[in-house]
Amino acid sequence: MSAQNVVFLFVLTIAFGLFSLNVQRLVSYMRLGLPENRSDHHWARLANVARVGIAQTKILREPIAGFMHATIFWGFIVLTLGTIEIFLQGVFNGFSYERILWHPVYALYAVSQDVFAVLVLAAVAFAFYRRLVLHPRRLEGDRIEHLDAYVILGLIAGLMITLLLTNALLSVLDPSAVGPEKFISRALGRPFENISVRSARTAQLTFWWAHVFLVLIFLNYLPYSKHLHVVTSLINVYFSNTSWKAEEAVMRPMDLEADTDTFGAADVEQLTWKNLLDGYSCTECGRCTAACPANLTGKVLSPRKIVVNTRQRLMERGPVLTRETMAFFGADLVHGEGHAAAASLGAANGAGHRLLDGYITEEELWQCTSCRACVQECPVSIDQLDIINQMRRHLVLSESRFPAEVQPAFEALERNGAPWAFDPGDRARWADGMSIPTMADLAERGERPDVLFWVGCMGSFDDRAKKITVAFARILQACGIRFAILGQEEHCHGDPARRMGNEYLYQMLAKDTIDTLNRYAVTTVVTSCPHCFHQIGNEFPQLGGNYEVIHHSTYIERLLQLGLVPLGTEDGKRLTVAYHDSCYLGRYNDVYEAPRETLRRALPVVNLVEAPRSRDRGLCCGAGGGRMWMEERQGKRINIERTEELLATGAETIAVACPFCLTMMSDGVKAKQSSVPVVDVAELVASRLDIA
Amino acid sequence: MKIAVCIKRTPDSETRFRIGASGSAIDEGGVKFDMDDFASYAVEVALQLKEKTGPGEVVAIALGPDNVQETLRKAMSMGVDRGIQLKADAVPFDGLAIAKALAAELEAGAFDLIFFGKHAFDTGSGVVGTATAELLDLPCVTAASKLEIANGKGTARRELEGAAEMVEFSLPAVVTIDEGIARPRYPSLKGIMAAKKKPLEAKPAQLGTPRVAVKGMALPPDRPPGRIIGEGSAAVSELVKLLQTEAKVL
Amino acid sequence: MANFLVFAETRGAELRKVAGEAVSVARRLADATGGGEVHALVAGPSGVGQKAETLGRFGADVVLVVEHVALTTFAREAIAETVAQRANSASYRAIVLGFSAQGRDLGPRLAAKLDAPLVSDVTDVEITGDSLTVKHPAYANKVIVTLTVSGAPAIVSVRPSAFTATESPRAARLEPLAPAVDPTAGRVKVVQVIEGARGRPDLADAPVIVAGGRGLKAPENFKLVEDLADAFGNAAVGATRAVTDEGWRPHADQIGQTGRQVSPQLYVAVGISGAIQHLAGMRSSKTIVAINKDREAPIFKVADYGIVGDVLEVVPALTQAVREAKKGH
Repeated sequence: MSAQNVVFLFVLTIAFGLFSLNVQRLVSYMRLGLPENRSDHHWARLANVARVGIAQTKILREPIAGFMHATIFWGFIVLTLGTIEIFLQGVFNGFSYERILWHPVYALYAVSQDVFAVLVLAAVAFAFYRRLVLHPRRLEGDRIEHLDAYVILGLIAGLMITLLLTNALLSVLDPSAVGPEKFISRALGRPFENISVRSARTAQLTFWWAHVFLVLIFLNYLPYSKHLHVVTSLINVYFSNTSWKAEEAVMRPMDLEADTDTFGAADVEQLTWKNLLDGYSCTECGRCTAACPANLTGKVLSPRKIVVNTRQRLMERGPVLTRETMAFFGADLVHGEGHAAAASLGAANGAGHRLLDGYITEEELWQCTSCRACVQECPVSIDQLDIINQMRRHLVLSESRFPAEVQPAFEALERNGAPWAFDPGDRARWADGMSIPTMADLAERGERPDVLFWVGCMGSFDDRAKKITVAFARILQACGIRFAILGQEEHCHGDPARRMGNEYLYQMLAKDTIDTLNRYAVTTVVTSCPHCFHQIGNEFPQLGGNYEVIHHSTYIERLLQLGLVPLGTEDGKRLTVAYHDSCYLGRYNDVYEAPRETLRRALPVVNLVEAPRSRDRGLCCGAGGGRMWMEERQGKRINIERTEELLATGAETIAVACPFCLTMMSDGVKAKQSSVPVVDVAELVASRLDIA
Repeated sequence: MKIAVCIKRTPDSETRFRIGASGSAIDEGGVKFDMDDFASYAVEVALQLKEKTGPGEVVAIALGPDNVQETLRKAMSMGVDRGIQLKADAVPFDGLAIAKALAAELEAGAFDLIFFGKHAFDTGSGVVGTATAELLDLPCVTAASKLEIANGKGTARRELEGAAEMVEFSLPAVVTIDEGIARPRYPSLKGIMAAKKKPLEAKPAQLGTPRVAVKGMALPPDRPPGRIIGEGSAAVSELVKLLQTEAKVL
Repeated sequence: MANFLVFAETRGAELRKVAGEAVSVARRLADATGGGEVHALVAGPSGVGQKAETLGRFGADVVLVVEHVALTTFAREAIAETVAQRANSASYRAIVLGFSAQGRDLGPRLAAKLDAPLVSDVTDVEITGDSLTVKHPAYANKVIVTLTVSGAPAIVSVRPSAFTATESPRAARLEPLAPAVDPTAGRVKVVQVIEGARGRPDLADAPVIVAGGRGLKAPENFKLVEDLADAFGNAAVGATRAVTDEGWRPHADQIGQTGRQVSPQLYVAVGISGAIQHLAGMRSSKTIVAINKDREAPIFKVADYGIVGDVLEVVPALTQAVREAKKGH
């Protein structure tokens, strides 16, 4: 072993030592979070890593920038093999995989190194161009954020250049060491063919060491940079619950019996380790914020900021809680979204300084419509919504802080079982004259229906939404479905309360609902409201209520498929319809096709047009997350933004599948002074019923 | 500051009532009860005052059977320090009888302020607060819509018909609270948990003999379903006539 | 034969409408019990006695005049003590007053001082033999309660406008009465009387509310709403969210789920469609009138009376009609 090897080992040890100290530090901070079990669903999690991580499916949602990143990412994986080879060279002079690999495999490997080095370099060049020339809005950060990005891109470019040049000069020094597979390196070596051996050797060694140093500097820079995601992203995707259906889109369960002083999360140690890992994994790409309906209409809420702030606060709080004595591992680069509080490191432990209020304001938290666009977009499967929800829970349960206009909704839920002050006795009035039996009626006769029609509060009390209820009931009757309603025994399942952070009120209402449903031994439920659909079908299991729940658009589609719906055949007028995807039906539950298929089957000649942002990119109507009960105080109204988009499609009718979307779109259309009707799919189908 | 708030347990104001079998009480089946709205404004005023003036105590008092304990706990979950139940089998309609029981309890309390709601949703009579004040021979502001307390003195605003009066008084005093002063805080889960451990004392009520008794209850004649009485300005005179004779609001 | 005492309420030196109504009620009760006397007590600044003579029109036999400069404002403790001492010195079957801002304060004081049963907000009253039976709308006007009152004197506080002041003319004797205690020594001092902010009551206690919505088309047209409110005299002006969002009216005027919740005696909805959020704020109003050009508007389902028409045309006509009706109040 030569002196060089010893020096190399020494350098390697220092570098890895520093890195592992940092890793330990970061892990110790992460452990400050609450425990939770994410070791279930092993195979599904691995599948996600393969899909979202390796195959970069989410990154590729943006084709150009996505391909750029995928190139760098795949390049990184491939080139890491090369880095290992180089490190081994540092210890064992002249080491090469060629010695141990079957030649075709080695050839493939060698080609890949060269090709990817160039591809990565090209991608980095494009990245620089994007940042410096194109200025995409979501990449607009503060000075430090930009600096961080340039440092990373610079380092990567440096790595590629030093790699290529190392091999280029090696090909001049020892052509046999650089085979024809590394054609690029060899081509790059040609200009140097005539320099002296000594210069070539010096240069090659320089580039080799430069490459090694760049790798080790890069490695140790990671813990201080948003580029930490390189280490954490695949791990984060593995532990995430955001990438498989419906199971994931449920709110975190909460044990209210737990003997605890505080509910929800006001600071990082009240979030779970997974939330903190999310903080480490954020690259600040801003795709979440770019998709956020609140942010894009000018509100302060930014999902990216939520995650960045979590990480910043952890860096601030971690050293204090772990009583860390190594002062030079100071706080992380503090920046992001221009939040002034983050800069006040001195106030780090002033009384009351915490994640909530110190970084993330109440205003931001209440602006969220829980549409899940942020979660949908995140390439590393961060769950921004989870943090928002936990903080809302803290605001409501521990501090009773929420927008004043929400209080009547909470009180009405508690007293009347509905989020508005309506007389519970009026609940089944819409059914007057329709001869619809209640569960109680049937139970008295010892009968049970095939399906329970859960109407929901909007459909029971709101004049416009009642029309949807009646339309759907007529369809069911026309098809001869044996159904019943709960009538006055129905009350809100508590979802609005839950969305707004009031877990206590929610559990009270939900448990009571489950009791009622179980009392009637309900197994199958159909509902015309996506919020009821999601709550009863996906979140009730947390409290022991397990039922098969079908949304009415899916149910109608099935009925149409089975040919059970008596439709009039005449009137072949072509109708251009724009269908607006409901967030709780779409992103939450993957129901995109059923309502569209329903429209196609029911309307003889329909021209379905899509808004630019549809399906899993659909723009929220603005009513979710309890916002139906809140004032919009900043920026443009979300429903106006969406209405404009839908009207711009030139559609003659806007179709929805949710009573809240119906209200928001109707308001929007009225505000734009348009006469385009907004109707529920059930109404469109019912209008075509051909019954004597 | 030592503050007392007298509260009442009343049905939810959105209920559509039915008359019970006896004909002289509402059918309580399915009716949700909670702290009376005006009483909750009074509790809020008391709590805000305590928060502003520093160390002190807020005591909630309710008269009635054991179900009023739930209402006292609600007050405590909002922040009231302790509760007193004056046990009575039923809450009489006669406000003066209730006032006598409350006065007996409040007499020795040395309270700086005693708050009541302006009236209770069920009786709508507005007797208890001011009558209690009179029995205790304390200055009383009835139906304050604004209130300021400082240095042992108080200023309040009372709404009159189409006008308002500002009054001044010294403590100790009784104030009955009108709506608009404060929005009752929503109890946090923390508060609800804490309320379970706060002291609640029950003692027999020294009710006066009720001399106002409910003879019967009836639902008002059904609001005839809204009718469109006409079109355009031609319908105006008919409307005015109906407002005068039928609705009696003009 | 029994005598009845009435507290005939004044504002400053002017009698209030409910004073005549209270006297009328007392007169009817007196007539029903053998034709006793009705004594109306009036408290106010100098000159109030002359105004009070008119109470004879409604059946007052005697007008007890308590005149003092400090009685320009409501000297509640002095008045309560004066009425109580009068009631103690003579024998009355019942004391009648109005359930007004003054009456809400005075009634309970009298009840406590005299240890006399009090019934408030009464809309009907009868005497049969020993017992007095009254009707009172309880539970926010949702249930009519019939109460029996035993003992004399009984204190009856009548709902303003529930009884008509009927004529039963006679020449009333004026008797001066000294205040029982110094009206300037009250422990609750009136320091200021504020005539209706903007001349209008607050939404919370206005007996009449006129509210405007988008059907008014433009912010200038809100003047029509204000004119109508002025015509009613004691009305507040409200607005829907659509209109406050546009900035036509301040947010404080917004009636609805996220704004003010009101329950006046009369709610006039002008150009309001009746969206669920607005209804949540006003549907417990006693009487609802709706004016809207759309016959299908949901507001008509909750309104007692509706006029289908252009608000810009109907509202001025209504304003005029209300002014006429109000003449002589």
